[in-house]
Parts: sequence; structure tokens; C-alpha cells
Amino acid sequence: MNGRTSRQDRALGADLWFSLPAPLCLMTLLMPPFRQAAPISPAEPIKQAYSLALYMQKNTSTLLQTYLQYQGSPFSDPGFSAPELQLSSLPPAAVSFKTWHALEDAERLGRAQEAFLALTQHLQLVGDDQIDLNPGSPILLAQLGAARLRAQGLLGNMAAIMTALGLPVPPEEDTLGLVPFGASAFERKCRGYVVTREYGHWTDRAVRDLALLKAKYSA
Amino acid sequence: MGVYFCLRWPSQMVRSKRMKASSHVQWLLSSVLLLCLVDQANGQKKGVPRGLKCVTRNLEVWDCSWKGPSGPNGTVYEVCIKSRDHCYTSVKPSIQIPALLPGDHEITIYPQNDFGSSPSKFILNEESISFIPEAPEILDLAAEFPTDTLHVEWNDRGSVFPRHANVTWQIRLLCKKRMETIALVTYNSTLNGQDTVHHWSWTSDMPLQCAAHHVEMRRYIDDPQFLGHKEWSGWSPLKSISWSSPDSQPKVFPADKVILVGSNITVCCVSQEKVLSAQIGNNNCPLIHLEGENVAIKIYNISVSESSGTNVIFNTDSNLAGTVIFAGYPPDIPKNLSCETHDFKEIVCTWSPGRLTGLLGPRNTSYTLHESFSGKNVTFKRTEESTNESYQLMFQMTPNQEIYHFTLNARNPLGQSESTILVNITTRVSPHTPTSFKVKDVNSTTVTLSWHLPGNFAKINLLCQIEIKSHSGQELRNATITGVDNSSYLTAMDKLNPYTNYTFRIRCATETLWKWSNWATEKQHLTLEGFPSKGPDTWREWSSDGKNLIIYWKTLSLSEIPDRQHRAEIQLDRNDYVISVVAKNSVGSSPPSKIASMEIPNDDPNMTCDYVIKWCNSSRPGPCLMDWKKVPSNSTEAVIESAQFRPGVRYRFFLYGCRQQGYQLLRSVIGYTEELAPVVAPNFTVEDTSADSILVKWEDVPVEELRGFLRGYVFYFGKGEQGTSKMRGLESGRADIKVKNITDVSQKTLRIADLQGKTSYHLVLRAYTDGGMGPEKSMYVVTKENSVGLIIAILIPVAVAVIVGVVTSILCYRKREWIKETFYPDIPNPENCKALQFQKSVCEGNNGLKTLEMNPCTPNNVEVLESRSTVPKIEDTEIISPVAEHALVGSEAEPENHVVVSYCPPIIEEEIPNPATADEAGGPAQVIYIDVQSMYQPQAKPGEDAEAEPAGGSGYKPQMHLPVTPALEDEDDDLDKAAGYRPQANVATWTLVSPDSPRSTDSNSEVVSFGSPCSINSRQFLIPPKDEDSPKSSGGGWSFTNFFQNKPND
Repeated sequence: MNGRTSRQDRALGADLWFSLPAPLCLMTLLMPPFRQAAPISPAEPIKQAYSLALYMQKNTSTLLQTYLQYQGSPFSDPGFSAPELQLSSLPPAAVSFKTWHALEDAERLGRAQEAFLALTQHLQLVGDDQIDLNPGSPILLAQLGAARLRAQGLLGNMAAIMTALGLPVPPEEDTLGLVPFGASAFERKCRGYVVTREYGHWTDRAVRDLALLKAKYSA
Repeated sequence: MGVYFCLRWPSQMVRSKRMKASSHVQWLLSSVLLLCLVDQANGQKKGVPRGLKCVTRNLEVWDCSWKGPSGPNGTVYEVCIKSRDHCYTSVKPSIQIPALLPGDHEITIYPQNDFGSSPSKFILNEESISFIPEAPEILDLAAEFPTDTLHVEWNDRGSVFPRHANVTWQIRLLCKKRMETIALVTYNSTLNGQDTVHHWSWTSDMPLQCAAHHVEMRRYIDDPQFLGHKEWSGWSPLKSISWSSPDSQPKVFPADKVILVGSNITVCCVSQEKVLSAQIGNNNCPLIHLEGENVAIKIYNISVSESSGTNVIFNTDSNLAGTVIFAGYPPDIPKNLSCETHDFKEIVCTWSPGRLTGLLGPRNTSYTLHESFSGKNVTFKRTEESTNESYQLMFQMTPNQEIYHFTLNARNPLGQSESTILVNITTRVSPHTPTSFKVKDVNSTTVTLSWHLPGNFAKINLLCQIEIKSHSGQELRNATITGVDNSSYLTAMDKLNPYTNYTFRIRCATETLWKWSNWATEKQHLTLEGFPSKGPDTWREWSSDGKNLIIYWKTLSLSEIPDRQHRAEIQLDRNDYVISVVAKNSVGSSPPSKIASMEIPNDDPNMTCDYVIKWCNSSRPGPCLMDWKKVPSNSTEAVIESAQFRPGVRYRFFLYGCRQQGYQLLRSVIGYTEELAPVVAPNFTVEDTSADSILVKWEDVPVEELRGFLRGYVFYFGKGEQGTSKMRGLESGRADIKVKNITDVSQKTLRIADLQGKTSYHLVLRAYTDGGMGPEKSMYVVTKENSVGLIIAILIPVAVAVIVGVVTSILCYRKREWIKETFYPDIPNPENCKALQFQKSVCEGNNGLKTLEMNPCTPNNVEVLESRSTVPKIEDTEIISPVAEHALVGSEAEPENHVVVSYCPPIIEEEIPNPATADEAGGPAQVIYIDVQSMYQPQAKPGEDAEAEPAGGSGYKPQMHLPVTPALEDEDDDLDKAAGYRPQANVATWTLVSPDSPRSTDSNSEVVSFGSPCSINSRQFLIPPKDEDSPKSSGGGWSFTNFFQNKPND
């Protein structure tokens, strides 16, 4: 328990550290005259974002397993999978390789940005749902909170990359839209399942995205 | 009359069947019956109206109808009611008439047509009327889906009915396409002359969304004043309700339902595609098909859910739908509800929730604490639940309210429970821990304590407990303090010792003592110095040289042995001085303690002041002082305790009496706190040693080493040499160790007498006290030689030997003749030749026998005779010597059945013969030991034997006996025999008959054969050659054996 907590603390520290450049970049954004004149090298923010994404990738399966474990059978049964469950408010991570490979930097980063923005909001929603369903499970609630913070950190890193690349940073928008607050417990459980699952998928995709960018801008 | 019956009977028939058949069927049946009866009554009249039947729907108007005459249409009927004198005209065979009064009414129907049909008369009364109310109509049917409740609304149309009446409504719920009745419910109401809208609700055990539900109803009005028969109305038009899904996704109902553990529940899935399976958790459930693709499952006896509920999932081809059911318990009655206050501002009520409900989050139990006098509520809600924890709620106190009546209500979706408590809050005060606890000096023996006790205790008294600890112990003091509202309290602690370190701590409760607060943090405080209240305890001693007076005193606070700091030495002459000792501190001086320097003479034992007991270690020489103790003059005893007292050390105690500061010695005693065994043994020496005694002298044991009052010595002595461990275990009471206990402690010598000369003795001496035996000291001493004894020891045996020799010689000389005759006769006396006397030597086979030696080894034949008359059956034990055995073998006259026993020992042989038995044995049919008899008879009765039993003489005969035997033919032999000895000349006689033949012995023949062992002849063949080697054969005529054997006979 203690070990886990300390690891989380470290992770949170890392998130904060990674998210630090974001405000700085935003400041640079606000100064358009200098934007073209002094572009920052994208290699460093890409490296940072890539490191964070790799770290996130290590924890995604744990999050999904922990989440399912608390939802009762059949969610908690080994090998549970319901690919048919989807959330319209969450962009799917699945994409054909050809399409993905052909993506421009701006679009690549933009889609990831959009997805993680949606994920942070959804993770917050899932956390709230679980306070009702599993109030006595601090481990699950902590993991959901940590995942949300990491997603926010990655968002910040991506914004830094986009700034470094001279791309416009998309404004934060409410991707969640109208939440069905009257959702039944079952719908909430399913919603949480899809969010934690897609969080893993999007993290995997982000690792690939950033690896590609890293290779491209390392020179 | 006939019509009357016709009308009555069907009505009864209908009444009996009214609950079963529908109203149409009833109507039909009654019409048929009516028709039949009217036909009978009117005798087959054609063209006559018949079958009048009336029903009413509202009791005010009767609808009557009849069968018109057959013929063309267009008949107009005139119906006249006789009692009303009024006729109605109708073109149809039916008519509505206002309700008639009770009783029979004659009604005549006049058909007016072209055929001139004749009128019919009917008797009509209320009993013949059927009351069939109109079918009701459902105004509204509404579904409340979250609660699965249907609400039905309808109007009873009460205004139509003139009178109050009870109405029974039957509501039927139908479901599915096939219109299965799922519920038939009865609802009662009354009609009150007005239109009333009724509501009725029904909760379905299956979610209403699962299938369309239909409702219809009918009624039965039970008007007690109506005499006719009453029937159910027809069913109302069907009202339906159904749920339609807003989208094509499958939906599962009920959602998020909270149910009691152990109950049953139906869960359905509204789907447009086929549902493949359903599962609760990971268990599959059988599907119940409803309308369309909708399915349901039934869950029986549901078990308690986990935190996030029990999942129920329906799988379709492409989708998954589900719901969560929360199965739990209603809240348990809150246990151990108790309310108290810490500060008179808030009341804290605590309780334990009891059994877990299994419901969490928004479904968890919420608690409401309601106070009935003030009407205030406090609510408590938490998302988690645990049993081991007690819950608590804070309730703000109302000013001036002391009695509170609390009701704690626990509520969750499954139910509620409550517990109540009535408290007088002034008796339920558990104050907070006092804070800001401070101690302040007042004077050297008094301090004030101040503290802060949060809360408003203005109207009650506080009871505070103050613990005072000092080096001398601890004390608890209670203080009752009037409560205040500003929380600050102050109290004084007096009777403290000056300049003493105290530790104070405090706790408080109210006077009713419900609960003590925790102890406040303790405070250390040193009280102020006070001037010494009395002078120090003082004593004085003269120094050993008598020039200086040493004054000792004790510090006032601590009773300690005076050390160097507490003494002073003054050079004084021997005049009497009074010494004053004063104790001083920063505050002032004590009154002086006075003591006179000189001891006053011991003249007056009546003391005026106290006693002083002084003590010192008595084993140390010179003036001594270890400590002293003052004892009040009224005491006659004192217990003296000192850490310096050691066991085994002798102390001397001096008791002084006092008079005007001067002291006189009254007495001195010595004593031990505990006596121990001496550590050394007394030194002892041997002063004198003689052949039979030792004089031992010893010294005293020094007092330090004695360690107790000497009670005596124990002296052990015993034989023993140095280096042996013979004296080990002295106390074990060995017989050879003698112990002397010397209880006279003044005795210093001991003479040990009765010792053996020239013997080493081991001496051991031990001293003992009440504390036990001291160690032993041992010594070895050899007594001197005893010469007289030795001489006597040699002389006495020599003298005895000489005297014995001389006496023997004299005796031998005096009796030499007899001795010679007895032991060494020139000619041996044949009488002394006894068969048994020399047998031993003979047996041992000495061939070279002397004349006197007879061969004792007679072949002894023992014949056991059954009886005289029979042929003697020889079944004997033939006792023979080895020699005889040889002879037998040689003669070969041995029958088979003879048991031959080799028999020789002479001593036994002597014992066997018994003259008495031998005589008796001579009787008929007795066992006769012939040889034995014959052998002994001559000895015992030389004369008689031959005459008494001549035959008994057969067998063995010793030589000396021969003359007595009358059977002997030879006179010369007799003469010879008279001489006492007969040589072995008559060899023929001896050898003629085999001496060992049993037959010869048995027969009474004159020829008695003898196997004399003493005869030469017999010896010649009896003695085996091997015996020649016997060492005894070389004996010169007598052996010791024979000598001793003969002696008794002499």
C-alpha cells in the first residue's frame, strides 16, 4: 500500500513536472510576433511527452483491471471484454494503419489532443460515478484520479510540442457535452469500462504517435 | 298465478347462476324459460304477448320487454299498469316504466294489430326484476414506471342511483398478446348519490416496461333495499398501457432497483433483436419470453449484493444490455444509543449501526436525530458503512432545556427503524480534558491551581479530582467547584509541605459523576520555603579521648543517618553544658534543640521528657554511634528500622531517659536483626590422650564470626583415619559416630572416654547459634597403646589350653581301662558287630576286612504282599547293595517284575527300620519289609523274635542272631553261638540257598537261607571287585564314621 502510494506520488510529481512547460508555451503563444522568429526545438517536448506516455502505458492495464474488479461479475470475471460497448462522446483510438501513417503532424497531434481532452473529462465522470457505486474503494478512486492527472499532463506536453512545431493549439472545449446524469448504475459501469479501456488504447496510440514524431524531430 | 311463477322461477335460476354466466347468457336463459312457462300458462294461445321480463340499470327505470305475437310488424302495444291507472303505448315489444313500488302489480299488454290479438296480463313485482348496473368506464390508466405502479381512475356515477349502496368493483389486469389475466382485484366502495372518481393503484412484480398491460373492470351494486336479484355489470372497455423504447437499443428493467435480500425479482429486457442469453453475475438464467423479442428472467432468493450491486446482463447478437440490482437489508435498529455532553453546548449522541445493510453510497442508511421537545432534527449520512465503528451526531443544546427526548431514525430504501432515548443532560456530562493547568504559590504550604474547562457549566457543580504526588507518596483530593460559563476555574491546595517538589494533575466530572474527564497534563511545582518549625533532632557523644563533644543532628526533612555534614565537634571540659542546635533556611530559624553535654546520673527513672534509643555495632570497640531515635515518653516500645542493619551483626542498643535536656543511660541490650550460623568453627586442641580417652579443649568463636548468640557446640567423634572420608555426613546419624551436644556454652573442655587404645579417632567440633550450625573443624587423634590388655589377651588363652590339657590327661589316665575296652579291645566284641555299624566302609568296598567288620550291605528284599492267601505277588522294591546286585545277576533268578533298586546308604538304612511298624507289618495282607525286620529283630528283641515268628526269621539273619533261631539243626551251632561269636565255618549252610531269592523267603520251608553280609562266604561273592580301591578299606578296623555311629548305641 505504501509502496503504491509512493509510486503514485512520484507519478504525480512527474506529471507536474511534465506539465510545467505548458504554461510557458502558452505564454509564447500569446506573443505572436516572436513566434515565427524564435521557434523552440520540438525535440525536447517530444521526448518529455514520449516519456510520460510510456509511463502511462505501464499503468493502463492495471487501471482497467482494477476498475473491472470493482464492478462485480461478469465485469470482474477473468477475460471480460465487451468491444461492442462504445461511447459516442469518446473518439475511438482504432484507426487503419495507412490512414494513421499518412497523418500530418498537426492532425496527428490534434486527434490525440482531442482524445485526451475527452478522456480527462470522462475519467472525472467515471470517478464521480464510482464514488456512488464503490464508496469504500479508495484504491480505485485513486487510480482513476491518477490516470486523469496523467492525461492532463500529456495534454500539456502535446500543447508544448504543437507550440514548438508552430501549430495552432486547439482550444479546450467541452467534449463531454450533456451528460446523462440519470444514467443507471449499469450504464455507469459500462461507461467507466469504455473510458478506462479507451484510455489504454489512446495511450498506446500516443506512444506510437510520439515515437514517430521523436524519430522525425530527433535530428 | 301461472305468470307469477314463470317470473319468479327464472329469476331464482338466474340468481343462482349470476356469478358464473355472463349477463347475455343469463338473459337468454331466462328468456327461454319465461317463454316456456308463459306458453304453458296461457294454454298455447297464439298472438298473445308473452314472456314479460324487466331489468333495471339504475333502480329508477325498469326496462321491460316481452315477446310479441307472431305476425307482421307494426303491432302497437298498450301496456297498462293497473295500480297506476296508466297505460303506455309502445311500437316495440319493450317499454321503460318508472320503478314500481314494492308489491304485486298487474300489467296488461294490449297488442293492437290487425289480427285482434288478445291482451295478456302479467303480475310484476320488484322481486322479479334483475338489477344489472351499467358497465363502468375507466377514465384514466396511467403507469408509473420507476415504481412499476399502474394507476386506474374511474367514475362511479353515483348520481344515477337514488340510494346509498355498497359497490364492489372487480378490476382485471391482462398482459401479453394472449390476454392472460395477471391479476383480478376486488375494490369496495359506496355510492352516495354523487359522482365520485375512484383511484386504485397496483404495483406489478414485473417491470411495466416489459409488456403492454390492459385493465378492465365491472361492478356489482349491493343495494339492500332492492328486492330483486342483483347482477354484475358488464366489463368496461379495455384500457391499455405500454412502454415504447426511445431507441433501438435493448433496455433492461428495472434499473438500479433496491430489494430485500432473499426476495424474488423479475428482470426483463425490452429488445428489438433476439436476446440470446441472460446472466446474473456469471450465472446463466432461463429466459421467459414476453411479447415480441422481450424476455424476462426471474431471480429467486437473491443474496446480498457487493458494493457496486449485482449485475444482470442480457446478450443479443450485437449488443449487451444490463441492469444493476442492489440487494440488501433495511437498517437495523440503532444499538447502544447514548447521548452526553462535553461542554453543555452540544450533545453528542453515539450509537452502533448493528447489522450491515449491504447498501452503500446513495443507498446507504441515513440517520436523523429528532428531539421531540424542541422539535429539532439533525441528519447524518455517510456513503460507507462499518459495524465496528460507532456513529455519532452532534445536537446543539437548547438553552434552559435539561430533558431531551431523542429519536434516532435510520432509513434506507428498504425501510426504516428507530430507537429512542430520554436523557437528563445534567447527569450525562463528560467534561473535556482540563487545559491550561497552572499552579501558583500562595505560601509555603498552599498553592492555587487554575485550569480551563471548555464549556458552560454555569448551573451545575463540578467535582474535580486533584492528584498530588511527592517523594513521600501520592494523594488524591476532591474539590467541588461551582461551574462557571467562562470556563476558568481556580482552587486552592493547602496542607502541603514547604519546599517540596509536587506533581499535580487534575480531572473533572460533574457532581452526578457520569464520566471523569481525562487527566490534564501534570504540572511540577516546588512549594515555597517555610522557616523550620522545630529544631533538628540532636544527639551528642563524647569522643573516645573524652575531650571533645561531638554533636550530631538530623536534617529536618529527611531522617537520615547523620553524616559528616550533620555533626560538629567542640572541645569542652567536663562541666555540664547545654548545647543548642538551630536549623536555618532562607526564611528563618527553627526553635533550638537543646541537649546537655553530660550524662546525668541514673537516679530517677521517672522521666519527664522523651526516651532516646541509640545503637551501634557492638563488635567494634570504643564509643560508637550509628543512629539514634527519639521515642515519646509515653511509649514503652519502639520498632527501630534502619537500612544499615545487617543480619548476623551484633548491635548494642542503649536506652536513655531524659530530664531537662540531660540524658541518663537506663539500659543497654545487645541483639541481632537476624541471627546467622557462625562463619568459623571453634579452634580446638587435644590436651591429653590416654589409651581410652581424649581430653579436648577449645576456644571461643569471636563475636563477629559468631553472627548470633552462641547456643552450644556439637562434638562428633568416631574411628577414622586421616585421609578417609569416614566422617563425611556427620549428621546422618551413623552408628559408629558419636555425637555430643554441649549446650553449656561456658564449657570449654570435653573428655571423651571409653575409647580403644591405639586407634585413630576423628574429632569434629562445630558451634551453633539460632541461625544454624557453623562450619566444622576436625582433627585426628590416635589413642595410646593399652599394654595390660594385650598381656591379658595372650595369657588367658594359654592358661586355658594348659588346664584343658591337664584335665584331659588325668581323665584319660583314670579311665584308661575303659577306654581301652571301648576303643581298643584286644578281641573285638562280636556284639558290637552290627550290621549297620560298619556298612559304610564295607559298602565302599574294602576287601581286606578285619574279622569284626561285617559286611553291612545285605541284599534287602522288600516284598510287598497283597494277601497271604494269594500267591505272593512280588512286586517289590528290592533294595540291595551294589554287591547284592552282582549276586542277583549271578543267580539269574530274577523275575521280570522285580524292580531292583540299588540301595546303600547306611544311615538311611538305619532309619528305615522301625520295630513297631515291623511288627504290624507282620499282619495279614500287609506290606512286609521282611529283610528289614529280620535284620533288626535280633537287636531289639533277641529272645522273643524267634519264637514269635519263626517264619519271620527267613531271609537275612545276622550271624549273631543265629543261635536264637530254632530252625537251625545244629546243636553245636547253638553252643557256638552262645560264645557270642561264630566263625564262618558253616559255609555250606550259607551257600545252599540263594539268600536273595524271594521265594525262599516267602515259603515257610525249614531251610532258611541267609545272605549274611558279615559272613566270609557271602562276602566272597557279594562284594564287587571294584570296591577294592576304596580308600576306606585301608582303615585299621574302625573308622570315624563307625565310631560315631556306634556311640549312640552305647
